[in-house]
Amino acid sequence: MRVGVFICHCGNNIAGTVEVAKVAEAARMMPGVAFATTYMYTCSEPGQEEIKEAIKREKLDRVVVAACSPRMHEVTFRRTVEKTGLNRYFFEMANIREHCSWIGEDKELNTNKAIEAIKLAVEKAKQNKPLFPAKFKINKRVLVIGGGVAGMQAALDCADGGLDVVLVEKSPSVGGMMARLDKTFPTVDCSICILGPKMVDVSQHEKINLYAYSEIEEIKGYVGNYQIKIRKKATYVDWSKCTGCGACIEKCPSRNAFDYFNFGVAPARAINIPFPQAIPKKAKIDAQFCRQFIKGKCGVCAKFCPVGAINYEMKDEIVTEDVGAIIVASGYGLIDLDKLPEYGGGRYPDVISGIQYERILNASGPTSGHIERPSDHAEPKTIVFVSCAGSRDKSIGIPYCSNFCCMYIAKQAILTKDHIPDSRSYVFYMDIRSPGKGYDEFTRRAQEEYGVQYIRGRVSRIYPKGKKMIVKGADTLLGTQVEIEADLVVLATAVTATTDARTLAEKLHISYDPHGFYVESHPKLRPVETNTSGVFLAGACQGPKDIPASVGQGSAAAAKVLSIFSKDTLESDPQIARVNTNICVGCRKCIGTCPFGAIEEQQLRDGRIIANVIETVCAGCGICNSTCPCGAIQLQHFTDNQLLAEVNALCLT
Amino acid sequence: MFIEKLKEAVRKILPEVDVVIGYRQGFDPLHATPYFLDKPEQVDQLIWNPLCVQNLCSYIPFLKGKVGVIVKGCDSRAIVQYMQEKLITRENIKVIGVPCLRVISVKKVMAAINQQTVQEVTFEGDNIIVKIPEGPKTIPSADVAPRKCATCQLATPLQYDVLAGEAIQSNKPQDTFEETKEFEKLSLEERRAYWEKEFDRCIRCYACRNACPMCICQDKCIAESRDPHWTSQRANVTEKAMFHMIHGLHLAGRCISCEECERVCPMDIPVAKIKKKISMDLKELFGYEAGMNPDDTPPMYTFKVEEATIEEHEI
Repeated sequence: MRVGVFICHCGNNIAGTVEVAKVAEAARMMPGVAFATTYMYTCSEPGQEEIKEAIKREKLDRVVVAACSPRMHEVTFRRTVEKTGLNRYFFEMANIREHCSWIGEDKELNTNKAIEAIKLAVEKAKQNKPLFPAKFKINKRVLVIGGGVAGMQAALDCADGGLDVVLVEKSPSVGGMMARLDKTFPTVDCSICILGPKMVDVSQHEKINLYAYSEIEEIKGYVGNYQIKIRKKATYVDWSKCTGCGACIEKCPSRNAFDYFNFGVAPARAINIPFPQAIPKKAKIDAQFCRQFIKGKCGVCAKFCPVGAINYEMKDEIVTEDVGAIIVASGYGLIDLDKLPEYGGGRYPDVISGIQYERILNASGPTSGHIERPSDHAEPKTIVFVSCAGSRDKSIGIPYCSNFCCMYIAKQAILTKDHIPDSRSYVFYMDIRSPGKGYDEFTRRAQEEYGVQYIRGRVSRIYPKGKKMIVKGADTLLGTQVEIEADLVVLATAVTATTDARTLAEKLHISYDPHGFYVESHPKLRPVETNTSGVFLAGACQGPKDIPASVGQGSAAAAKVLSIFSKDTLESDPQIARVNTNICVGCRKCIGTCPFGAIEEQQLRDGRIIANVIETVCAGCGICNSTCPCGAIQLQHFTDNQLLAEVNALCLT
Repeated sequence: MFIEKLKEAVRKILPEVDVVIGYRQGFDPLHATPYFLDKPEQVDQLIWNPLCVQNLCSYIPFLKGKVGVIVKGCDSRAIVQYMQEKLITRENIKVIGVPCLRVISVKKVMAAINQQTVQEVTFEGDNIIVKIPEGPKTIPSADVAPRKCATCQLATPLQYDVLAGEAIQSNKPQDTFEETKEFEKLSLEERRAYWEKEFDRCIRCYACRNACPMCICQDKCIAESRDPHWTSQRANVTEKAMFHMIHGLHLAGRCISCEECERVCPMDIPVAKIKKKISMDLKELFGYEAGMNPDDTPPMYTFKVEEATIEEHEI
């Protein structure tokens, strides 16, 4: 075996704290190494040429590049090696930058560590076997989870790109959080007016199949070939008949249902349509509030429905859709007021959340756009906005910034002044975070043109006094305590992951951070990809995000899907588990531990039952490998013997 | 006589199965040996006494067809564990349960009689009387019982199709892992020195593995494999220790504490100690005891994103 070792200076990134010449010299002494050299930038074109030439000149059959993390350039070098006719898995990478030169300053220690890292890579390379990817056909349909602005944008871009789109929305209408907003910053244009056309496009696009009031039940398969089970929740209204006339809602005697769309600002009817522009504009019954379901008799809606669409016997329905890629745009949630006891914890009707205030401001909201406080419907004159209500607060487990509250508070303060010219607004803030285009100008305008009083400090307590709410806080710029008698207090509640974000992530096999936000493949360079190929992210499910960013990600995710669908077949990764049929004793333990359901029983001709890996489903996690007592199942390219060769190189010599 | 009840049970079952596994007299009165019988006339050779120590369940995962097997309480955990791991089809196994309060360790008896030739063995009440050239020697059974009997909770097998005799209750205290906890108080160096000394005697005969009812890899054991090449044939203490650790870990959440491994060790290495420690950890972590309930899932053989009892590290 003839191994070639190429050591990269990476400018000064590696050569600055590692003596690369000495490393090359040590590499030449390693058993099996036929050639070792250093190069300024191995990943550059001449650097790669040098590898190719050396492979031919020195008749190398294994190549080790000692440079950066394989995450960056492994693919580059595999391609280089493959161009000379070697199998791409005859290439190994030693990370002497992130694992070595960047983390220590002692040149001698770094140099020794680099030598050891190469020793491991050389031993591994010598054990490497040629692997070949299989090709499989892809189903060029895409599933979009979530019909908020990000999901709709992704769905529309995919559909316009010629793909069949399955759009699944949990609530009865698309639109998401944006449909609830009154105006949008920094232009103060009507939210539903700009969102409405997109919603209509989604409902009318012939390539988009919308499942509203539906949830993802089960996801099976792999990139290119997913089988999705969708649970269509029972609406108790036959949507094929419902015209959205609203007669049922008008007559519904159950008038104290929770209004999910309005975040409980006002009660709703048990049968309802969330908002006038809803798409689809169809009624649904909330069974837990409906008299027919609670008491077993009522039937008013059925009596008044002109088309006979009401069906109390309706059951959830499971439908199956086959797709090739998934865009997750499942959005965000908001922290409950009861997590904020110092602000009343939801006990005071006149302490409300920003999204509730948004509904009060909204012309199609429960107050028809008149600002009134919930307790006595009086017009508030003094309004206090509290930013970071929960955000940036480690004590309740939310250390992060909720991204858009500073901006919407400024917007709401401006709108308040427009609605009630003799009102006074106060904003308690920690920092004003307004880094977007036109954003800072907007918050300045709130202060300078609309006279919104910004107080830098946190609110310590809110409590009622007569009809007023007393807001106690600090003004850290003046160094004093302040106390404001407010008519209405609006809390910019922290953005959280949705309550079912983790369950969905587990169905999708994607990872989430400690707060439940989905983790992208690379924070800078792969912002909409996940580590599960074929699953992409858009919008606030990945982290708090405003509308432009969500729309941008929606389009980006669509572009990613279109790019993988530009081919007719995909190559499967051969780095998956494989069963040695001679060794497998058929104990089936791997079947139980495989998180992907990728292992099945197989009967051999002699009647023996052994394990068999379904190639396309295996994700190469290696759990089966560590479960198998006799080592019959091996993760290709990371076999026990390959890893033992590395361990032995480090520990035995 | 109990033995008659047992023989009758075997006679009854014999036509339904291809083979019955029981015990018969071994090479001397002190040794019982496993006996495979498939003809009625062989039934009379069966014996039953506290020297019938072997866990006969060890054979059944590898036998084809229908099998009858004589099972003590401790052995029955193997049946339950096989059921959990789907290694047997329960309908194909006819379990002849025998109530048992205590077996006797041949090694301990031999030590008590100073390794002399045994001419005859009889049992009287709670004593074993061993006749050696210098005359009969009476030994209280409790003194020569294996360690596991002191805390045995299963006087009657968990699983049986026929019970020879009456079901009885255990009268022993529960195992609280005192010995393991005491051992863990030693320093790391002391424990290392202890095991190096013990393992150094190992001759890698693999008797512990071969006797283990849960070692199902048979001749595919990675201790003797080159692909993957986890252990070499070198006769040093690290390789020996490696083998014993692999054996222990492959039994994590599966070891039914029959202590056959330790019983069969020709070098008297306390190998069951390792398994006991792992069993203790599994019980503490997952509240799981192997081989108790056929509907359980061994905790190491499932995949859960979050384990209820293990706290994830916050990133």
